[in-house]
Amino acid sequence: MKVSLTCRVNGEGVCGTIEPSMTLLNFLRHDLKLFGTKEGCGEGECGACTVIMNGVAVNACLVLAVEAENTEITTVEGLSCGGELSTLQSEFIKQDALQCGFCTPGMLMSARALLDRTSDPTETEMKEAIAGNLCRCTGYVSILAAIASTAKTEREGEGRK
Amino acid sequence: MLSEFNVVKPQTVEEALTYLERKDHITKVLAGGTDLLVILRRSLKMPDLLLDIKGIEETKRLEFTSGVGLFVGASVTVNQVADSEIIQRKYQALGQAAQTLGSYQVRNRATLVGNICNASPGADLAAPLLVYEANVHIASKTGRRTIPLTEFFTGVKKTALASNELVVGISLPDPSSGDQSVYLRQARIKGHDLGIVGVAVRLTAYQRFLVAISAVAPTPVRLFALEESLNDQWNSPEIAVFAGEEIQMLIHPISDVRASAEYRLHIAGVLVKRAVALLTMTGGT
Repeated sequence: MKVSLTCRVNGEGVCGTIEPSMTLLNFLRHDLKLFGTKEGCGEGECGACTVIMNGVAVNACLVLAVEAENTEITTVEGLSCGGELSTLQSEFIKQDALQCGFCTPGMLMSARALLDRTSDPTETEMKEAIAGNLCRCTGYVSILAAIASTAKTEREGEGRK
Repeated sequence: MLSEFNVVKPQTVEEALTYLERKDHITKVLAGGTDLLVILRRSLKMPDLLLDIKGIEETKRLEFTSGVGLFVGASVTVNQVADSEIIQRKYQALGQAAQTLGSYQVRNRATLVGNICNASPGADLAAPLLVYEANVHIASKTGRRTIPLTEFFTGVKKTALASNELVVGISLPDPSSGDQSVYLRQARIKGHDLGIVGVAVRLTAYQRFLVAISAVAPTPVRLFALEESLNDQWNSPEIAVFAGEEIQMLIHPISDVRASAEYRLHIAGVLVKRAVALLTMTGGT
């Protein structure tokens, strides 16, 4: 029996009619056609499906769509503004923090959630924040550099784009 | 795709229990879902109904009352536990263990009570809860009961919970000032990984040791025999080394994909030695 779902995704109100067994990840990709959020393992190990739900990073594969009722969700599509990349996205490019790009949406959302809760994260905090995001290309060093340089840029007043 | 089921979100414990009484349905309780959704994805269990308990006020309580202790409701997430200032200050091992469970994203969903109800032999939060002599608060239509956590685990992924019962929360007594504890865990990598061995050691203000360990037996266990030996010689300068050797006589771990039995035995000794040394400042690391 299908049920209705109302939530906000990237600032816009969204209504849907869904199977109760649908995951938030499938709702975003299949119903809303937001293909930025990736499915990797589907079991909360790889972090490719990370989105921000009510301000905190979660694995969209481990959340049922019905659990997102009345929540505020941000996906990677919600980071850019008016077609312009955010500081975080620009820094990922500048620091070569991606190669194949599959983990990148999840990395960006874990990093965004971190920078939203602390403007000056330590290296340990950065590593902890992305410990649940696997990347098989970069070796993580450039990703940490991109998060650190974003934090610096945002602190220096240019703020979040 | 997950198997077919319906989801209900009751607002009270009473309402939730009504669903659990229904005999014509296989009902599973949904809190954080970080274990349940993996099981459903693998189609290992096919429930008809998921009971989302996150709407129940009582399960959202994370409260400390001086002289009484701590109550952690069944919807309280692991990150809420890790970030709690009072837990970091009064229940150090619990805060440390909460910080090591899964990944940051998983901790934002996973609940402390879910970790216990899942009853994995390696449950990260079990050992700290055992050394704080936690009690499990259980509700059913016939009333409420409270049992010690030591009686809650009955086997690998098995608990004393009946199918019509719901865990509402877990409580921990208020430790006296001067009470200290530490949680040490060995895993293959520092980040998101299951533990190979997890050790919690607590030294009360009255020089009484409490020791619990996970991932070396079918359930997480309190090591009462080790505690007795340690209590007999709490002021010995050799106590940490003794603890590290003694524990290896008391546990019988198995080999699995994460570690061999021999490695588990060795690392349990190392972790207990380190933990006792940290708490007694006797060195030994």
